[in-house]
Amino acid sequence: MSKRIVVDPITRIEGHLRIEAVLDENNVIKDAYSSGTMWRGLELILKGRDPRDAWAFTQRICGVCTTVHALTSVRCVEDAIGAQIPPNARIIRNLIDVTQHTQDHLVHFYHLHALDWVDVVSALSADPKETSRIAQSLSAWPKSSPGYFKELQTRLTKFVESGQLGIFSNAYWGHKAYKLPAEVNLIAVAHYLEALDFQKEIVKIHAVFGGKNPHPNYTIGGMTCAIDPNSDNAINIQQLNMVKKIIDDTATFIDQVYIPDLIAIAGYYKGWLHGEGLGNYLSYGNFPQTADPASGLWPSGAILGKDLATIHEIDLADMGQVQEEIARSWYTYSKGDQAALHPWEGETNPKYVGPDLPYEYLDTDHKYSWLKAPRWKGNPMEVGPLARVLLQYAKQEPMIVDTVNGVLGALDVGPEALFSTLGRTAARGIECKQTAGFMSKFYNQLIDNIKAGDYQVFNNDLWDPERWPKECKGFGYTEAPRGALAHWIHIKDKKILDYQIVVPSTWNASPRDGKGQPGAYEAALANTPMEDPEQPLEVLRTIHSFDPCLACASHIMDMNGNEITTVKIV
Amino acid sequence: MVINVLGLGNIIFGDEGFGVEMVRQLPEYNSYPDYVNFIDGGTQGIYLLDYFESPECLLILDAIIPVEYDAEVYSYQGSDLPSFIHRKLSSHQIGLSELLSLAKLHEKMPRKIALIGIPPDNLDMGMGLSPKVRALIPKALAETDQILQSWISTGINQQH
Repeated sequence: MSKRIVVDPITRIEGHLRIEAVLDENNVIKDAYSSGTMWRGLELILKGRDPRDAWAFTQRICGVCTTVHALTSVRCVEDAIGAQIPPNARIIRNLIDVTQHTQDHLVHFYHLHALDWVDVVSALSADPKETSRIAQSLSAWPKSSPGYFKELQTRLTKFVESGQLGIFSNAYWGHKAYKLPAEVNLIAVAHYLEALDFQKEIVKIHAVFGGKNPHPNYTIGGMTCAIDPNSDNAINIQQLNMVKKIIDDTATFIDQVYIPDLIAIAGYYKGWLHGEGLGNYLSYGNFPQTADPASGLWPSGAILGKDLATIHEIDLADMGQVQEEIARSWYTYSKGDQAALHPWEGETNPKYVGPDLPYEYLDTDHKYSWLKAPRWKGNPMEVGPLARVLLQYAKQEPMIVDTVNGVLGALDVGPEALFSTLGRTAARGIECKQTAGFMSKFYNQLIDNIKAGDYQVFNNDLWDPERWPKECKGFGYTEAPRGALAHWIHIKDKKILDYQIVVPSTWNASPRDGKGQPGAYEAALANTPMEDPEQPLEVLRTIHSFDPCLACASHIMDMNGNEITTVKIV
Repeated sequence: MVINVLGLGNIIFGDEGFGVEMVRQLPEYNSYPDYVNFIDGGTQGIYLLDYFESPECLLILDAIIPVEYDAEVYSYQGSDLPSFIHRKLSSHQIGLSELLSLAKLHEKMPRKIALIGIPPDNLDMGMGLSPKVRALIPKALAETDQILQSWISTGINQQH
């Protein structure tokens, strides 16, 4: 008899991800279903508003990805009205964006994903001397003495014994799928704490260029920050020097901590290469180097069926490329449920036909998600760091080829290992090394411009809506840390007529489509063997490897301390 | 001395925006010394850790789900605040209680800490607070101000 497990964050608020998986008699996942909710209905808030304000609303869609939505929104409106921005604004936007990438990847690896591979409780029994020896063999990072690990272990033990930290009681410590020796676990826990401290530094760059933190300021036509090397009331020499130091420290942390940890941890799990998934990858490209949005350091393109020899060109304005389907989603389309609509003709008509609450499980044979199913030329696609790294690897970008080959070589595995959960996780680390390099590159570009006397960050040519076309359409895109993100707008009489957003996690967490093709999570979970279905660590590993961006819209405090994830076997 | 007043929540989900609305209104409610920072924290989760760990006193404003679900202003101080961490599917689910336990693990807890919360009445997508929550704002402002004033006067005493 087949078993069905449910991993569901129980919350009274909309905005969660639920996974249902059907297992065979050997506890191998045969079929998985991903269901979720997100920002459906945001277009209702945006309709009729001034397009110049859209960024401030869209940045609230997501708690962590605020800046990428703000950026995509201003690019979208600028594309529609034909506004140009000064080179400094482009550089500063790139710098804020790439800072976000770097920080986000670091936080994701250490504070969400690492605990899928690292057994914190096991770290309590590590030998600090041996831990020190291993740490020093991995990296030149100076915090690696026996005394350092001993002190940390004492603090950790005290903390666990105090019983305050539910992290140690609610997780799957001692699970058979954990493979690291106690000493490697202790190193990872040490870096978990160091990364917590370090990520606080990185984001200070946002405060410098975005003005207000944690919600940086953008504007149509450029940025709002003033640059004047000699003024106390503008971005000046002291602040630029601080930015430079943070950038240098970031590169060191990634080279000496993140990458060595990634290799050390992955070395114990290279027998666990599940989670391949669709084999289809999509990236819109990012970090433009000129006024042409397509001049990005990250290329755009699609890969189908793991064929790295053929890169397909993409066009977000082509009505037949990016489309959303709702055959298995709780919506209707005026053209019928089998229709696939480009965002410019997108519709959001919710119609819930799922089971009444509370329910045991979803009707996965029919409609089962609030997420639409985005498709590229009818294909389900994976987006995110693995898509971007594969695209650059295929295009033989030297830094990526070197770093990928270096990591694969250190692990003694071939390139096919990239098509896996662990490959996705490695790609994020490899990309983080690349983005740290970009931070330095963009900083130098800005300094060169300032030295040449160019302080301009804003172009007001099209600030006044009187100068806009009476009716226009546009789109803006970026690569968010989690993957391809785009906004589409239709402006009429200076107001927003329609606004549609397709976020990365809609691609990855997509339900099945009209042809029954699974989404990226669903495909990646299939064929995964589970040690213990009641402790679905393997499911969390693969879902976390995508860095899901759900449940992001709210931030409510539950004083009852309700457990978030439950597992049911039915 | 530094006091951080941190409003949490999402302004596009009705009463979720309570905390942010409060930090927008507080500077008008009374005048405060420069070392009192009013921060619109939104739903930034772990990225707010520095705002949690850096001040001597931390006051958090947030929509909460209390044990008894009555429409009133809830106030918690010091060890009354629960801190726990759950397994998460998304890093975006890292909330207030997780930030508090991370600060504890770091041994960087503010000396004084308080939470003023209200239970939300409406969490549908849309701007603005519900009438029920709007009616609680004056009381919430008064209670917040009272805590801030007591912290400010204590801080001054300690400098002597």
